[in-house]
Amino acid sequence: MYLILLPILFPILAGFCLLAYRKDPGRKLLTITTGICLVITGALVVVALMGTKQGLTLFHLTKKLPIYFNIDKISVIFSLLTVIVFLCAGFFSFVYMKHEQKEKRYYGYYLMAFGVLNALCFAGNLITFYLFFELLTLSSFPLVLHTGSKEAVMAGLKYLFYSLCGAYASLFGIYFLYHNCETLTFTAGGVLQISPASREGSFFLLIAFVMILGFGVKAGMFPMHAWLPTAHPAAPAPASAVLSAVIVKAGVLALIRVIYFIFGTGFLQGSWVQTAWLTLTLVTIFMGSMLAYREPVLKKRLAYSTVSQLYYILFGLAVMNEEAFTGSLLHVLAHGFIKSTLFLTAGAIIYTTGKTRVDELRGIGKKMPFTMWCYTIVSLGLIGIPPTGGFVSKWYLAMGGLTGDIGIFRYLGAAVLLVSALLTAGYLLPLTIQGFFPGADYDDTACRKQEPARLMTIPILCLTILSVLVGLFPNIITNYLTDFVSTLL
Amino acid sequence: MDFICNFPFFSILLSLFSGTICSILPGKAAKIVNRVVIITVGILSGILLVYLLDSGESFVYWMGHFPAPWGNEIRAGVLEAGMALFFCIIMYLSMAGGAHKLFDEVEESKHNLYYILINLLLSSLLALVYTNDMFTAYVFVEINTISACGLIMIRQVGRTIEAAVRYMIMSLLGSGLLLFGLCIMYDLTGHLLMSNIKESVSLLIQNGEYQIPLIVSIALMCVGLCIKSALFPFHAWLPDAYGYSTVSSAAILSSLVSKGYIFLLIKIIYRVIGFDIFNSTRIIDVLFVFGLMGMIFGSLSAIKEGDIRRMIAFSSVAQIGYIYMGFGMGTQAGMVASVFHILSHAATKSLLFIAAIGLTEVSGGSRKFIDLTGAGYRNKWAGVAFTAGSLSMVGVPLFSGFISKLLFAQAAVQVEGKMLAALIVLGISTVLNAIYFMKTVIRIYTAAGDTPYPCITFKDMKVHAVVLILFVILNVLLGVSSQPIVNMIEQGLAMFA
Repeated sequence: MYLILLPILFPILAGFCLLAYRKDPGRKLLTITTGICLVITGALVVVALMGTKQGLTLFHLTKKLPIYFNIDKISVIFSLLTVIVFLCAGFFSFVYMKHEQKEKRYYGYYLMAFGVLNALCFAGNLITFYLFFELLTLSSFPLVLHTGSKEAVMAGLKYLFYSLCGAYASLFGIYFLYHNCETLTFTAGGVLQISPASREGSFFLLIAFVMILGFGVKAGMFPMHAWLPTAHPAAPAPASAVLSAVIVKAGVLALIRVIYFIFGTGFLQGSWVQTAWLTLTLVTIFMGSMLAYREPVLKKRLAYSTVSQLYYILFGLAVMNEEAFTGSLLHVLAHGFIKSTLFLTAGAIIYTTGKTRVDELRGIGKKMPFTMWCYTIVSLGLIGIPPTGGFVSKWYLAMGGLTGDIGIFRYLGAAVLLVSALLTAGYLLPLTIQGFFPGADYDDTACRKQEPARLMTIPILCLTILSVLVGLFPNIITNYLTDFVSTLL
Repeated sequence: MDFICNFPFFSILLSLFSGTICSILPGKAAKIVNRVVIITVGILSGILLVYLLDSGESFVYWMGHFPAPWGNEIRAGVLEAGMALFFCIIMYLSMAGGAHKLFDEVEESKHNLYYILINLLLSSLLALVYTNDMFTAYVFVEINTISACGLIMIRQVGRTIEAAVRYMIMSLLGSGLLLFGLCIMYDLTGHLLMSNIKESVSLLIQNGEYQIPLIVSIALMCVGLCIKSALFPFHAWLPDAYGYSTVSSAAILSSLVSKGYIFLLIKIIYRVIGFDIFNSTRIIDVLFVFGLMGMIFGSLSAIKEGDIRRMIAFSSVAQIGYIYMGFGMGTQAGMVASVFHILSHAATKSLLFIAAIGLTEVSGGSRKFIDLTGAGYRNKWAGVAFTAGSLSMVGVPLFSGFISKLLFAQAAVQVEGKMLAALIVLGISTVLNAIYFMKTVIRIYTAAGDTPYPCITFKDMKVHAVVLILFVILNVLLGVSSQPIVNMIEQGLAMFA
């Protein structure tokens, strides 16, 4: 029964010990310890997922507020994604962090963030979720300001400020829910027993909107997205991979939990909140793609792309039907694998060449063909070309949008998805094209093979393969989810 | 009547007379006497608390077995005993945490004076907590003021003398107003004993007599105590008084002295005027509005401040605002939240003051933010403790600050007219808190290039570190197991009626 606590407590304690350990253990020992801790945590997560049959109430914060953990299918999807990305990015960083300072601190907070994310996936009620949501901000914040340059510190502050504001906007909503709901335990179909037409109901629609905005901050929702493109590139590359692929997904998870498990879709369907939310998602998808298209620095470009891609997921959630919801979950996985690969390849490029701007990277495909091949494959996936991961998820999203009961957004949604896919191609593929085909004037006699170390290429390869697998065998996931999704709606 | 019922009386007398004894003892012996007295009073209050929880009802104690109005009455319930215990814990930890700084701050020949003042302060606090008689309360309010002034003054630098004079003027104004209110009340009712006044007041209200003098009297007492507990806009004396006195004094002043007055106000509301009568006056709306303003303006002043001690002091203004906002809601839940916040703020604020001194020590004694850069690395224990205190202030779950915010919000949701204002200001003030506390935390953990200041390890500051750890544990305890404490507060408030 206490099995569920292991993957939460172990990495947090391990990270804490690492931070508290006074002496410098030496690079080799440090990476080995961290590696072992990561693998153990991964194993513990799997054990917890397999072995947990019922929820666990740890203790009561106040009478009505237990700290409660439980595992459902949503937890499984999110925690598997977390484990895979954290393991891959972790091993990648063993090489990458060679050229950064203060590795011990980095690994300490990295492990802590891992544990907190596991807790977030396993949280069984809103207050537990909120607790770890705050802790996630605090434990991932040192990763952002890791380099300690003025720019990074400012980015970290911006991240902290936006995240805290968002969390408090949500807390504002939790106060009201706490007062009006019997329980805050996540229950499929929602726990709020108020009709949206009543006077109280119209007030709760406002609360729902505030909570969507509040939790949406973590997921980089327009107009509160400004922290994301500043904070993600400021972190070291493996940390940005984790931030972009998993930690922002905490915002997505929050919205799933709040909308589908607390408010209930019946409460929000057809209301002005749904309309406003859909509008915001479509604006964000389009705007994120446009900004990414114009951005010359590779890591920033990828961060803007994250803003845009996350809103595919949130679009699916806002449509509120089964197909769109399945599409969202598929895209959570696909985007998680793809974006972490992209950031890791960007990291590998920076590590070997030291160049950050896209236009400096002409001919990079000749020097690092393996890395660039992976980059290209996952780029195609993000654009949505079959058989890679992005195609299936976007298919579901578009189908969900078209069959959804959402008026004009039915067509708008599909159109924006298509345009944004084109823009995605526009901002990702130039690097491939220039990388492999630098043009006639490029002197390729001088170029040597510069592939990075094995420990960097293998995680990239694993993530690439996974992103393709999601596209090839989506049925495994959709079958797994079918029954569960229908209980939600 | 059980022997235990003598304990409140014992604790007051014990601390009062040990103060006198300290005057003839050398500094070191006075210190030991002081510590022993605090511990003893703490243990007595603890036993009393257990006894009261067990018996389930409060008792009135006649001093010398003379019934009122000839004799003096003491009254003890769960809340009184709990407060006394809590005050002793905080006072002991604050004294222990600041002890190593005392030699830098106060001349050695004056050390026994310092302990006299602390003992007097403790006895006046205990008397404020236990008394059942308005005039006794007034007398001990004055004793409290004088000893607090002494505590500010004893560190002889220019700013403290100015601060003490300011504190003296504002505080005397406050006690003067309290005395006026008391006189009018005596005139109207003919009683000084709390329970007797309450009967007469409810009669007066029933008959519709002397409405305006009654309101004026209540208002005067409220304003008097508001000034003394530094509710916005009467907080001008506070930053200097907390910012420049010795570190133990600052911790004690911010977390106990102002709380003693607030506790007296709670007693007046429940025991003298009656909760419902108090809530039917417009005074609670005024308290509510000033509470809200304090929450915002206190934090804004703290953001502008460049001196860490003064910043923490300004943050007190905001936190006092929370407490008065709870009063202003006029519900039982609001009152419970306020009482819980008294505990939570006392535990957090003294932690912050004690941790801040650890940080300034490793920065050449400077309190300016620029010099504090990297102080968290040079003194790890103080850095961690300061971070924990900040998180509690910001209201991160698992710390006490979160629970008090939750309780305030819960209380606010039940009050139709004040709900939105309270929740919005609560949100704004939380974000403002986050700005200045996180700014400080980042500052102390920003790596400083070459600093001439030394690092401090656990060996150099054993007592200090242990105190800090205990404070953090106290905070987490309040945050994690709040339900029994809330139950106790509810039980105690019920005993007041």
